[in-house]
Amino acid sequence: MSYTLRGRLESPLAAALVPALAAAVLAGALGEWWPLELVALMLAVGLVLDVTVYHRLIPYQPAWLAVPLGALELGLTMALVVTLGVGAPLGPAIALFAGAWLVAQLLGHAGFPLAHLTYAEDGGELGRAGRGLWATAPVALAASLGVAWALQPPTVRLEAGVHPGPLVLDRAQRLVGEPGAVVRGGIVVAADNVTVKNVSVVAGETGIAVQNAQNVVLDGVHVSGASLDGIQARRSQVTIRDCSVSAPASDYAQAIDISFAMELKPSVVEDCVISGGREGIVTNLANVMVRGNRVEGTALRAISLTEMSMGMIEGNVVRDANGVGIFCGDYSHCEIERNTVSGTRADTESGDPSRLGYAVQANFYARATVEANALSANPRAVGSFTGGTISAAGPR
Amino acid sequence: MRQRVAIVGGGLAGFTAYLTLRHAGVPADDVTVFSAERDPAGTFARRAAAIRQRRMRSESDGHCFPRSFPGLAVREAVRRRTVAPLLGTATNRYRPSLDWFLAHVAELRSRSGWDEIVIEERVERIRAADGGFLLDAHGPFAHVLVAPGHPGPAVPPELAGDRRVVHAYEPHEYAREVVVVGAGMAAATEWLNALEAGAAVTSVRRREPLRRPLNVERPLFTKRGLAAFQATTPARRAELLGELSAPSYPTGPAWDEPIDWAERHGRFRVEEHVNGAEQVICATGFLRGFQHNPLLAALVEDHDLPTLDRWIVLDEDSTVLSLSAPGRTLAVAGAPAQWAYPAADTLVGMKWAARRFARRVACRTR
Repeated sequence: MSYTLRGRLESPLAAALVPALAAAVLAGALGEWWPLELVALMLAVGLVLDVTVYHRLIPYQPAWLAVPLGALELGLTMALVVTLGVGAPLGPAIALFAGAWLVAQLLGHAGFPLAHLTYAEDGGELGRAGRGLWATAPVALAASLGVAWALQPPTVRLEAGVHPGPLVLDRAQRLVGEPGAVVRGGIVVAADNVTVKNVSVVAGETGIAVQNAQNVVLDGVHVSGASLDGIQARRSQVTIRDCSVSAPASDYAQAIDISFAMELKPSVVEDCVISGGREGIVTNLANVMVRGNRVEGTALRAISLTEMSMGMIEGNVVRDANGVGIFCGDYSHCEIERNTVSGTRADTESGDPSRLGYAVQANFYARATVEANALSANPRAVGSFTGGTISAAGPR
Repeated sequence: MRQRVAIVGGGLAGFTAYLTLRHAGVPADDVTVFSAERDPAGTFARRAAAIRQRRMRSESDGHCFPRSFPGLAVREAVRRRTVAPLLGTATNRYRPSLDWFLAHVAELRSRSGWDEIVIEERVERIRAADGGFLLDAHGPFAHVLVAPGHPGPAVPPELAGDRRVVHAYEPHEYAREVVVVGAGMAAATEWLNALEAGAAVTSVRRREPLRRPLNVERPLFTKRGLAAFQATTPARRAELLGELSAPSYPTGPAWDEPIDWAERHGRFRVEEHVNGAEQVICATGFLRGFQHNPLLAALVEDHDLPTLDRWIVLDEDSTVLSLSAPGRTLAVAGAPAQWAYPAADTLVGMKWAARRFARRVACRTR
């Protein structure tokens, strides 16, 4: 077809209504925004190319050309997804794009010509429906933004000062602490889509407990004086970043514990500072990314992925752990890369040969791949026990 | 009594217009078609048979359905349970077979009640009158679409009266030595036909044929190209139409390989003048211009219509501006409508004119 400029705008705009609706439903079902963001990017890429490139260079567009142009738009859209940090998983994102492309083709070749008799000879313009589209597009956009705004979790400001805990967050919300905001006695997160930002927590059995919740973000939280766990996530998916956990109130306290979340999306612990405690970061039966953290002076292992956990341990600094610095145990699969481990102490009192000061260790049928780690001043660099294996990462 | 709608000419253009009117909600009783024969594809089929045409030159939109979708490609894909016609459509290579196209016309003819509204009569004169137009003694009709088709086969004056001459669109067989005059689609088809029949072929042409898939560039089929076309001055528009009517035929090995082979074996050559061959086939197309059509010539003369070269000057919607007004329409479709739509002699062009005509008719009747 030979599209007019107006046809090049009206046709994709109208065709985008179906995937936009599907994306809205999907976003609602998943509780995530990426489907809508992806459709918006797809539409933006398509319209920009239509106006600036296609209209000038392609006076006549045969049907087959939709395939390479679609591939080009897919590439650009996915590049923007990565660049803009849209959290769209690759497979579903491509599936959504392909579905939208297919719908556009069906509408362009069948739906629109059926609905508008002169669609082809009008160069893709939709007549009165097209004029209606122009009128409603801004309204639809404003409505979408309004709905998006309305659906955002409410933001709760926590004033400076000490607030008695435990605080129980059982609805989606953003709890944002003003400078000096402290909760004494812990926070319990028991709902999806909760963000806790810039809050200090002191004392309590567990500093922050996340229970059966997903899409939880703990950003810039500081926990001290917990007697059991600084941060504990059970059956949850959580992103913990820029946190600090220190001054445990008992010899058994752990800093961060993420457990029983194998079927959920990976949890992330990044850029946290942990000092003291029994173990620094420990996972059981979970998918995790542990990166960019600093863990020092733990009474046991600094970072420990165990009980069939899977994940990456990357770019962390581990100092002065007792027995083992980074531990991959009990059928877990670990990728251990670019970490710095130093000053690990040999735990001779335990009488356990696996605790004689290993920087990195795989134990009990765990599999670890290692690459580019800096290991210094440790009694032993790497070791494997009871069926555990450690291998160098292959070429990529 | 004032009648509603008349279509003058019952060929493919008139037939397409009738179907489009029906699709627009105009009752069959409101439409009268004047035609020399009832079969809308009769003339077309005879001409196609004469040049042994097996496939349409048109593409997926080349059908008579009022809607462009689903066209022949989709229907053929469904019937044959194959995606080949759809892939052909996507690459602009779908050419329905002539039999498939004629069956499609026959089906629509039977389904649409066409035969009931056709009056087998050739209209000689159209005259504006109170309430519309008189067609000879019929009428008045408020809205009239004139779709007279091509005026007749063109034979170069120097060959007129030559007993060896047959026109490509008249039934004929092939002699052992054949001269084919012309350089367009019909000529190329006749080269292959004659070679296949075992003849030695001499191609006589004034210029080298253009090689292009369609005579009219594709953007000119839609608003995009039309906007520029209709913005030209009348003189430039006439010049453009002249360029578009230059003889051409498509590219591809199906055309080139048999001719290359015949050239290598001394059975095909190009000459400037007709030689002493036994048979001369004039593949020189049709007479061009309203002057060759008695009905259109009289219409122009009776109403002093504006013309330029061989074209009646039409409005952008293919109507005769000076004779159309709210409540009455005189429109033109098919080859004589090229002033408004360069591809007016294609099925897409016929539909283009028909849709605009139907819009005026339906608009006035609601």
